[in-house]
Amino acid sequence: MNDKAILSVTGLRARVAEEDLDILRGVDLNIRPGETHAIMGPNGSGKSTLAKVVAGHPAYQVTAGSVAFQGEDLLEMEPDERSQAGIFMAFQYPIAIPGVSIANFLRTALQARLGDDEELDLFDFQELLMERMELLDMDPSFAQRPINDGFSGGEKKRNEILQMSVLKPALALMDETDSGLDIDALKIVAHGVNTLREENPDMSVLLITHYQRILNHVIPDVVHVMYRGRIVESGGPEVAMELEARGYEEYRIAHAV
Amino acid sequence: MNRLAAARRRAREAGAEEQGQIEGASPERATKNVARSSESTRVPEPDWLKSRRDAALELYRSMPLPSTRSEEWRYTDLARMLRLDDLVPSAGAQPGPASSNGDGTVPEPLRRAMAQDRDSAGRVIDIDGSAVSVELQDSLAAQGVVLSSLREAVRGGDPLLESLLATMAVPASDGKFAAMNAALWTDGVFLKIPRNVQLERPIRLSRWVSHPGTATFTRILIVAEDHSRVSFVDEILSPDFEAVTLVNTAVELFSHAGAQIQYVSLQRMGKGGFYLANQRTLAKRDSTLDTLNVALGGSVGRVDLNARLLGPGANSDMLGLYFGDHDQHFDFNTSQDHVAPNAHSDLLYKGALDDSARGVFRGVIRVHEGAQRTDAYQTNRNLLLSERAAATSLPNLEIEADDVRCSHGATVGQLDAESLFYLMSRGLDREQAERLVVLGFLGEVLDKLPMGGVVEKVTKAIEVKLGHVR
Amino acid sequence: MPSNEVIQGLGLDDYKFGFVTDSEPVFRTRPGLDADIVRQISGRKDEPAWMLARRLKALKIYESKPMPEWGGDLSELQETLDQTYFYVKPQEQMERSWDDVPENIKLTFERLGIPEAERKILAGVGAQYDSEMVYHSLKEEWEAKGVIFDSIEDGLKNHPELFRKYFGTVIPAADNKFAALNSAVWSGGSFVYIPPGVQLETPLQAYFRVNQERLGQFERTLIIADEGSRAHYIEGCTAPIYSTDSFHSGVIEIVVKKDAYFRYTTIQNWSNNMYNLVTQRALVHRGAHMEWLDGNLGSKLTMKYPSCYLMEEGAHGDILSIAYAGDGQHQDTGGKVIHVAPNTSSSIVSKSISKGTGRSSYRGLCKVYDGATNAKSNVECDALLINETSRTDTFPYIEIDERSASVGHEATVSKVGDEQLFYLMSRGMDEAEAMALIVRGFIEPIAKELPLEYAVELNRLIELEMEGSVG
Repeated sequence: MNDKAILSVTGLRARVAEEDLDILRGVDLNIRPGETHAIMGPNGSGKSTLAKVVAGHPAYQVTAGSVAFQGEDLLEMEPDERSQAGIFMAFQYPIAIPGVSIANFLRTALQARLGDDEELDLFDFQELLMERMELLDMDPSFAQRPINDGFSGGEKKRNEILQMSVLKPALALMDETDSGLDIDALKIVAHGVNTLREENPDMSVLLITHYQRILNHVIPDVVHVMYRGRIVESGGPEVAMELEARGYEEYRIAHAV
Repeated sequence: MNRLAAARRRAREAGAEEQGQIEGASPERATKNVARSSESTRVPEPDWLKSRRDAALELYRSMPLPSTRSEEWRYTDLARMLRLDDLVPSAGAQPGPASSNGDGTVPEPLRRAMAQDRDSAGRVIDIDGSAVSVELQDSLAAQGVVLSSLREAVRGGDPLLESLLATMAVPASDGKFAAMNAALWTDGVFLKIPRNVQLERPIRLSRWVSHPGTATFTRILIVAEDHSRVSFVDEILSPDFEAVTLVNTAVELFSHAGAQIQYVSLQRMGKGGFYLANQRTLAKRDSTLDTLNVALGGSVGRVDLNARLLGPGANSDMLGLYFGDHDQHFDFNTSQDHVAPNAHSDLLYKGALDDSARGVFRGVIRVHEGAQRTDAYQTNRNLLLSERAAATSLPNLEIEADDVRCSHGATVGQLDAESLFYLMSRGLDREQAERLVVLGFLGEVLDKLPMGGVVEKVTKAIEVKLGHVR
Repeated sequence: MPSNEVIQGLGLDDYKFGFVTDSEPVFRTRPGLDADIVRQISGRKDEPAWMLARRLKALKIYESKPMPEWGGDLSELQETLDQTYFYVKPQEQMERSWDDVPENIKLTFERLGIPEAERKILAGVGAQYDSEMVYHSLKEEWEAKGVIFDSIEDGLKNHPELFRKYFGTVIPAADNKFAALNSAVWSGGSFVYIPPGVQLETPLQAYFRVNQERLGQFERTLIIADEGSRAHYIEGCTAPIYSTDSFHSGVIEIVVKKDAYFRYTTIQNWSNNMYNLVTQRALVHRGAHMEWLDGNLGSKLTMKYPSCYLMEEGAHGDILSIAYAGDGQHQDTGGKVIHVAPNTSSSIVSKSISKGTGRSSYRGLCKVYDGATNAKSNVECDALLINETSRTDTFPYIEIDERSASVGHEATVSKVGDEQLFYLMSRGMDEAEAMALIVRGFIEPIAKELPLEYAVELNRLIELEMEGSVG
């Protein structure tokens, strides 16, 4: 285990609860404060599963290995405890929650971080929210809309980044945030992430993506290639460029069963 | 023809019930009790009313207590829940002069509920089936708006009462409880909005029941003349009771051409409360007659709501919200009768059920022959929050015209695990996440009827309930 | 394609099978019903004493239950029943070769296309004429694998233990008035047993024909699909047009054992003077799958709600229902799914068309018992109205006692839109063609599940019906 790592994944195996087959088959990963890592891989390689397991999605069951966050055993924690500890996951498919406005929800989420003795200042909150929405080029009326209810694909993704920028995590897991975005929306999202990174140089990012495209806008420190539930290659940004050129064929051959 | 046959069938069915079922719960004694006592408190009444009461009493006595063998009461077993024999008619508080604010008689919880109301154009306070205070803005009175207790209105001799009270909307022939109310009502509200007068702020009725084991009978009659507008909020509270305590309410709403009525019922009785309401809305040409029924309190709540769309261009939005816990039982029996063509109705009833609570929704859209170009919708959604809670949903369609757009939907489910995870991944604990989802689920109903004070009041009441049980 | 003739005719004008065959029954009971008639039926069938005792008990139950007050109009049914022959025996014995079936009866089935269809597409055929099966046959390869496909009477005679173990267990006599009636006077119907693991590739078919005027037909079918087996059973029904009303009341009991799959298809095309009151139910066990495909096209009044009782974990039930109500017809149909065990799932899809003065009613039940965790059920009903005088109703009952259940119901009512018609007509179709195309599109999700022969025929019927339906 790396002492300096904010996230330390060791020998992690996991599966969909009640199914027989492990999707993650021994993942090792260390992310240090301030680093941005990208994980690339074909469909079904397990990259989204890794993000969900770190966030504590109840559908997955860990069968072996460990995950430590800032030195604490993450696997023992509930999803809300992980969030309060500083983990944020931007969902690939953000879920709609009818009747619950974004403003109301974010206020509740921030209040939950403060605990019972401290009251969130509503004016401060309002100010923060408006400032963040401006950063992401969102209309102020957006805050009153129910979470993701009737949102377009781009709106949902922007909403995820908005939440991230309000909750200010230590580690952001971005699960295919770039998929389904046109280039303008992609730039706005990337701008939001980069601004957050500048504000908080210690924030780490784990970017799960299928395409190299977003990495032109959010420059990673480390790129991993995931294949069949394992990280099969790690390197600098050049790995992504090579992948873009060559595809996954060689991994298919190297790791054929 | 079909309807006639159905009516005959129903009559036969009702006859068949007489033999079995309700042993011991002979309604006879109760009516005698109730009749006797209401006789004594009755102010001198005009002949038309006396004979109407007598006829209703006759009908009441001839009708058996509805049993679960009848379709409309299949899931609410009155024989088990209600013993008419044990009830004592509400004596009623002493009515003060109409102008009095009645402060001396307003119980603290009701006063608190009233304090939450932001603004009112007028208010009636009703304690134990007697209007103790009636207030109306002078400017509205000057424009011809009439707001009075029903007893006062009868004394005043407005001819509308003879033609509309328990005749077209909720007549005694509607059923056992409609007959009971028509025979035994002690007081209520009469509200008339003259042509073209539009009220900006709501009129409120604040009701309180204080004595366990009593039966209270109240009527509300609202007439909105052509192109007038009014909102009416009917809120009822009571303490917890050891004994079953009945409140029987008849609500008759008439909107004339181009008029708008919003009627909101907030049922927040305490434990032991047995709330029964017969509501009927009659919407004429181009008028809007919207209702919202909120059921939070009482042990049993049963609302029969019939919306009749009588003129082209009529519109009724029908909203309902219920949140049951402990062993609360809520039963809504709604119907949307499209008699005229080109009318629109849209119903949305949503309920959350916790502990051993049970929710029943039975709704029917009837498109009568000739009601072409009807738009009618009906949705009932239920959230089960506990292992022991149960929901029954019976959304029906009966369509006798071909050029219609009608649909209905019903769902029953639990809190969605994905939603909860999403909220928890943002740092909310399970309890907070659940609370938020339930509030959002129910809040969708309130969003459709934005009305000063009501949304906040109901939201707060639900929050209290949620906080209390989880 | 002669096998198309298996089903035909919708309205009176087009009803191709309203013909009467001139055949003398070898025996019939006097009109009406009493214990003596029940004894005569049992006697003719040479039954064991226990069966007669059961019949007599069922008769008492029948007499004690009131006529249903819901559903269709049954106000004149008692009068009809008083005039009805409850048992008409057409020939001395059941045959295994068409050559041995009396000429005029054989001719009837030839006109209906049954022997032809048997040669082409079926694993086995049963043919009932009035109160008895006159023909029953199963292809040798299936017989060799232990499949039993026989008349219900022969089932009782030849497989008494299997028969007694299941008979009346799925639908007891006391279930409803007409199940009691059937239990008292049943005659004809099939006994089917599919051994473990046997998978029938082509369907079994039973064909029900009423010839006698004022007949009551009471077939009784018992089907056991043993573990891991797979089969498809089809029933078709027609009758002549008489000025008096006839009565048909079948009881179909099906047991689908662990991991088995069974599909039961009904194409009911009774003439418009038939009361059709049928009880159909399947008990579905662990991991098994039951499918009802219910097509109701004919009869005066049909009341029929095939049901799936999902008894064990992982059981699945599907009900696909299609109803066509023409002038004077009332189709009161639908389905019931009862979730008793965890992880069970079900779906009901119902499509109805009402034309002229026809009325179609969907009536359904979705019940989830406490403890049937993660049960899932979805119901969709769509009704199409053709004329101003057409009528439709939807009466679903949704009773949920289990929190983790997920249940949805949706229904829509629509008429054929002027815009749709115009669009198609602007492409050169006449109104009837356009209407037929829209109606076909409407029932497509269910029609595509029918065996090809039936689907083709259904489409042809719709075209026929839509001529003169517009304007």
